Amino acid sequence: MKEKFEPNIIGFLCNWCSYAGADLAGTSRIQYPPNLKVIRVMCSGRVNPIFVINALQQGADGVLIGGCHPGDCHYERGNYLARRRMAVLKKLLDYTGIDPNRVRMTWVSAAEGHKFAEVVKEVTEDIRKLGPMQHFKRENKW
Amino acid sequence: MVNEKELQDVVEKTIKRDDVKYIVGYEKGTYGFQVTPSFAYKPEDAKKFIFSPLCVHNLTVFPMLEEKPPLRKGEEPDSRKVGVVVKGCDSRAVIQIIQEKGLDRDKVVIIGIPCTGVVDPKKIEAKFPGIIKNADIKDDGDNFVITIDGKSHKVAKDELMPDKCKTCEYPSPILYDILIGKEIKSTKKEDYKNVKNFEKKSMKEKWEYWEKQFDKCIRCYACRNACPLCYCKECLVDQLNPQWVRRSVDVSENTAWNFLRAFHLAGRCIGCGQCERVCPMDLPLMELNKKLEKDVKELFEYIPGINAEEKPLLAMFKPDDPEEFIL
Repeated sequence: MKEKFEPNIIGFLCNWCSYAGADLAGTSRIQYPPNLKVIRVMCSGRVNPIFVINALQQGADGVLIGGCHPGDCHYERGNYLARRRMAVLKKLLDYTGIDPNRVRMTWVSAAEGHKFAEVVKEVTEDIRKLGPMQHFKRENKW
Repeated sequence: MVNEKELQDVVEKTIKRDDVKYIVGYEKGTYGFQVTPSFAYKPEDAKKFIFSPLCVHNLTVFPMLEEKPPLRKGEEPDSRKVGVVVKGCDSRAVIQIIQEKGLDRDKVVIIGIPCTGVVDPKKIEAKFPGIIKNADIKDDGDNFVITIDGKSHKVAKDELMPDKCKTCEYPSPILYDILIGKEIKSTKKEDYKNVKNFEKKSMKEKWEYWEKQFDKCIRCYACRNACPLCYCKECLVDQLNPQWVRRSVDVSENTAWNFLRAFHLAGRCIGCGQCERVCPMDLPLMELNKKLEKDVKELFEYIPGINAEEKPLLAMFKPDDPEEFIL
C-alpha cells in the first residue's frame, strides 16, 4: 500500500504575535492540519537563513516563518529585517531550482487565530502539491 | 596603460611616511604569467612593484587578513596605516568594508589605479599551454599584446578577459587617496544577460545544473579566503557548537555551504570575481553572486560598494519593502 504523502513543515513563530496566534487557534478549537511543527523564536528577526536551509536539509518539506504585522514588532524592526532577508533567500532558492514556495512567510497577530489556521491550511496544501523535498536532504551515514 | 615608474614613485613616497606600516601591491611572479602580491616595508621595496593586465588579485583581503597578536604588557598598539594598491573593483570592496565598519577610513591609504580590464589566468593558460619561462602582457586598446620568449601575439581583449571585466561599470577607483594616471569613464553596461537567460529555465533544469556544480565542490573554502568581504573572525562553517554545516563533502552540505556563502554576500558582493578565480573545481560562483546583485538592485534599489556612508543592505529596511510573497 502506498502511503499518502504528508508534508513536514517547520514553523518559526515569533513569541509575541504568531505564537500567541497559534495559541489562540488552539484555545478556540479551530481545526488546522497537524503538519506544522512549531519552533518558538523571540522574534521573526531571529530567524537566520541557516535555520531554513538546515531545516530543509534535515527533512522538512517546507518552512513557515510567522512574525508580527509591520509596525507591530515587539522589537520595533525585527520583522522588517526578516522580510528583507527572506526576500533575498527566496530569490536564491528560486535561482538554484528549489521552489521558493517551500519557504513561506506570514504576518499573524495574537488576535488572528482564524488567519493562522487558514495560513497553515494553505501552506500545507501548497507543499503537498510540491511533493517531498529531496533536493539536498542530509544523509545520515557514518 | 599605467605608468609603472609613477606607481613606484608614489609607493616609495608613501612608504617613507611615518604613519604607514606597509603597502600591498603586485610584483612579477617567478615564471610564466604569474603575478604575486607584494609587500613593501622599506622604500627600496617599491622598485619591484608592477601593474599589468595580469594583476588579477584583489589586494583588499590583506589588511583584513592581518593577524593582530595580543599586546605585551606596556606595549602600545600599532596604529599605523596600511597601504593598498587597488583597481576599480577593488576600491568598491574597500568602500564596502568601510561601510560595514570592518576597516577605518583613517587606517588605510588607497592607491588607485584606473584599470582597462585584466586577463583571466584560466583562459590564458588554456590558450598558451605548456611551461613558459618569460612572458609579458601589454594593454593595447582593444587587444592584449602578449610576448612569450621573444615572440609577440596580439589577442582580442574579449577572448581573454574574465566575464566581470566585460561588463565592468567602474573601471576607475571610486575612493582613493592617490590616483595614478587619469580616470577612465566606462562605456560598458551590466545587463545581467546570463542571469536572465538562466532564470527562464525550468525548476528541474536549474536544480540539475546546480546539483552537478555543487557536487564538484571539495569545500576547500578558497572562495571564502580569497573574498575581501568574507572576514568574519569565526566562519559559520568552522563553528562546532552549534554545527550548522557538517564537514562531510556531499551534495547536501555543499549546497548548504554554497547557499550560505552566496547569501552572506547578498548586497555586499562587489563582483571582483576572486571566488571564481581561485576555485580549484571551477564552480561558477559569480553566477550566484550576480543573480543576487541583480535582485538586490531590483528589489531594494541598492548597489553595494558605492557609498561608504550608506547603511548595509540587510541591516536596514524601508517600511515599503516588497512583500508580495507574504501571506
